[in-house]
Amino acid sequence: MSRGGFEAIKYKRNLPTRGPGGALIFGGVFAVCAFGFWRVGLGNLEKRELQRERAWSRIHLVPLLLAESDRDVYRREQAALAREREIMKDVPGWEVGVKAYHSKRYTPSTIVVI
Amino acid sequence: MPVTEARRASLIPGPRRQFPAKDYIDPAPLPKSIPHVDEIGVTSAPLKTASFFIGEHCKDYNEDFMLCKAESRDPEHCLKEGRKVTRCAQDLITKVRTTCLKEFDAHWECLERNNQEFFLCRKPETAFNSCIFEKLKLSKTIPGSPAGKPQIHEKSWPIYGAIQK
Repeated sequence: MSRGGFEAIKYKRNLPTRGPGGALIFGGVFAVCAFGFWRVGLGNLEKRELQRERAWSRIHLVPLLLAESDRDVYRREQAALAREREIMKDVPGWEVGVKAYHSKRYTPSTIVVI
Repeated sequence: MPVTEARRASLIPGPRRQFPAKDYIDPAPLPKSIPHVDEIGVTSAPLKTASFFIGEHCKDYNEDFMLCKAESRDPEHCLKEGRKVTRCAQDLITKVRTTCLKEFDAHWECLERNNQEFFLCRKPETAFNSCIFEKLKLSKTIPGSPAGKPQIHEKSWPIYGAIQK
């Protein structure tokens, strides 16, 4: 005759320890974060070098741009002085191009005639 | 030339910000006493492409000009050095265009498409730099970069690059 009946009912706790475990999980998270931050650091260093490249590109061009702008500003200033000379030619005692300041330093004009 | 009255200041904040209808144009030429020099006439992208080579080729003139500027910011004071700077840069641009025109055009057109950023145009830049080094013996160096490491434009696997290749 076969055994008959059913297996014993499992009522006791069954929580086997399996899987990576807490230390490994936290270690994994830490490792991924550390790698990420290292890459961020590399990226920041590269950004700094790119910024340096951008700055030097501009620095090499500054004299050229300044020279062109100088010629333009000089031309406009001379034209403004010529206009002043023309307008005030009959006014006795008028000095053309007198600066508003006692300083010898050059002060660009803040007035533009359109 | 009549002086226009002050217009109503715009609503955009800033010291007396105005946007007059007429352009800021003054047709008066330079005084005859000043020697004439053709303006460089090059737009920002080609200038940016050539910037490091202008810096190397015209180093002495640029330094002279900046030292002169340090003495006085008056435009009249540095007109002579300014003319030298412009002529030197013109000379270099002409040399570049006669020897490496294709690579030059490729690089500055790439810059035009990419917001004038160098790091998005490394491929045309490498081609242009090698052409210039071969023909004009000028090389691009960035002063102040950390010693011992390759320059940023020569880095093998840069971190920053175009999103779409």
